[in-house]
Amino acid sequence: MNEKIDFDFFGDGMRIFLDYIHRQFKKNPDYMPHPLIRAFECAIQGAEKAKVGETFMGVSQNGTPTNVCNPFIVVLEKLESGVGVKEIRNIKVDKTVPIDVMLIIFRLQILLDRIEGDCVTPAQMVDSLNAVIPCNKFYALGDRWKEARDEFKKLLEAGKIHIPNDPDLIDGLGRITYNMPWEEYPNKIRALIGMSIAQTMDPKGGIVVITSPKDAKIEKFKVFDSATEFLLGKTAEYLFKTPVK
Amino acid sequence: MAVSSKEINNILSEYFNIIDLYFGSIKHHLGKDEDSHIDLATHMARYPLVSDLIIDAIDDIDEQINDFWQKNLKLVVEYVKQQDSLKCLYSGDISPVILENFVKRSAFYIDTVILADPIYNLTLFQKQIILDRKYYLQKLIRHVFNIWKLKDLALLDSPHKVILILPINLHLVNQEDRNGLIATADQNLAAYVGRVLDVKLESGEACLDYLEKETTADGLFKQFKHPELLPRVFASQESFQEFLTDFSNTGKFAKFKEKESVGWDFGIYLRSQFIRVQEHKYFCEKLVAEPIYDYELPWFFFNYEMGGVDMDAAIATALQSEKFNWISKVPLSAITVMRAENKLEYMRSVLRQGVTDLKAKKDKDLIVVGEQVEANLKDAFAKQDSEIGVLQAQVNKIVRKDIPITSAGFFAGFIPPPYGTVVSLLFAGRDIKKSLSEKAALEKTINQKNKNFINLLLRSYERKD
Repeated sequence: MNEKIDFDFFGDGMRIFLDYIHRQFKKNPDYMPHPLIRAFECAIQGAEKAKVGETFMGVSQNGTPTNVCNPFIVVLEKLESGVGVKEIRNIKVDKTVPIDVMLIIFRLQILLDRIEGDCVTPAQMVDSLNAVIPCNKFYALGDRWKEARDEFKKLLEAGKIHIPNDPDLIDGLGRITYNMPWEEYPNKIRALIGMSIAQTMDPKGGIVVITSPKDAKIEKFKVFDSATEFLLGKTAEYLFKTPVK
Repeated sequence: MAVSSKEINNILSEYFNIIDLYFGSIKHHLGKDEDSHIDLATHMARYPLVSDLIIDAIDDIDEQINDFWQKNLKLVVEYVKQQDSLKCLYSGDISPVILENFVKRSAFYIDTVILADPIYNLTLFQKQIILDRKYYLQKLIRHVFNIWKLKDLALLDSPHKVILILPINLHLVNQEDRNGLIATADQNLAAYVGRVLDVKLESGEACLDYLEKETTADGLFKQFKHPELLPRVFASQESFQEFLTDFSNTGKFAKFKEKESVGWDFGIYLRSQFIRVQEHKYFCEKLVAEPIYDYELPWFFFNYEMGGVDMDAAIATALQSEKFNWISKVPLSAITVMRAENKLEYMRSVLRQGVTDLKAKKDKDLIVVGEQVEANLKDAFAKQDSEIGVLQAQVNKIVRKDIPITSAGFFAGFIPPPYGTVVSLLFAGRDIKKSLSEKAALEKTINQKNKNFINLLLRSYERKD
């Protein structure tokens, strides 16, 4: 290679994604970009009228005022020429979004855009997460829920499972019968079973089992919430021993 | 229905807009070197996370390019057929290594270079068989920017387009014809390998089965009973081994490596070449175009199959050989000058001197044709030199009288003195008025000759070492 190319991780990633959004708008004028981009746009609009040195914040999310999903803020500073990015933050996990996570979120948006409609199946969610988050840690339980249930029972009887002191959880466990369909299991119980059998799948840990029923419809913005939690929230400490690179 | 050059320009503009729409976000990284598209592709494919983002973001370019050609193919093909000109259809790789150089060499002999659309071939066909996403991205960026760099030339308003892009692929051939082409390729493959190995092979399949048994390059090489029928690169054991290693390595990225056998890999390579020849021949006939290559190997197989090519194809391909590397130094603007002066036909007549269809057909390695073309160019240069020399001597005679002179660089240092010298006057007395006007007229002629495309070629030739 003869020439040195100076790359700009943030600028290149942002330009590529903005071009992608531009193409989506050409195909569909009602296309809704990711909240991070919408927050960015709000902040830029504010910064246009600002004086040099002033900061502006844009906020956007996917849910409703009472059910906040996938919320982002972007803080920009007006510079002599253009604007500088002071911060991009996910409010739900209350953490700054590093550039590598931002690129993963962009890729996730692109993959989810390819799936028609506002919802995805658990299998589609897992495929998308595995495609963008390194190490392929996600597994959709799907039809294997009966195996999981039996394995959980064995572990429980062997005293290998610690049940948190949660009255709802304990009550829910007591009401489970052998013939109960998976769809009728309380969410908390499904999650407990998923977490318990994940350890048997990989003793080193780090596997996330998605226990939603096979035909469940998961809103796309909830996939982002999960991804942000897996990448930046408490789960990240469990999933990744080393930071995502 | 006559298709105008303007309509074709609009279509080509739309094509470049698609490139801009999908790759515009990285185009500012493209350098100025002639191989900057290769650098950019390599860097982008190695760019952590961003390379994955690009791959995902441009995933639907296949639909876009397919729609584009669905809409425009008929019109472009119609235009190509209408053109009563010398057209050459490129085959060899997805696009020439450095398209700019390829076009420079071609445009001094042929009217139009037709290139298979790399976006069409890579996104609609190769993507499915390339196993490594980064390898695919590298190929795509490399070939897309190879074409992007010649955008201005492609959009040049000239009677004949210098470059035309068309979707050329076996999959575009109707089922019946396609089956026929593949069957012919398989028969010819069996006959060729049978001759080289001195064995009787009934079919392409039998040929692959036979070759598959050979698991080492040494063993395979020893089986060649008639090495004189092989391309030069296969003639020595070392270069043959090197070729096979390189080819097998590409199998790590693509889905052709079904069996772990050197003989199988070699058979698959040969089969791909025989099929490509049939495909190229088919499209050349459809577009009334001559074949052109920049690689020795694909050229060898085409030439072998056709039993030689005619004069135009031979000259066009000979110009791509190493002997004419110096043409790469000619500025791209020289092509514009030549086209503006309408001198292509003259250039063609210069290059054709002493070359005949018969001579070209016999010259499978294009050695004789290449030498003749070089000699023709040297003659043209000598003639040009001598004409300018006579004029310059007359100017000098006037200058020597009493006109103070200064000199300035011409063509930003491209053309070295003495022809690059422009005489400018600082002062002139009444007594030399007549001389001045004579000198001015001579200078104008020299200036014109200096700008002449032959002269631009001559300067590059002089600097070739």
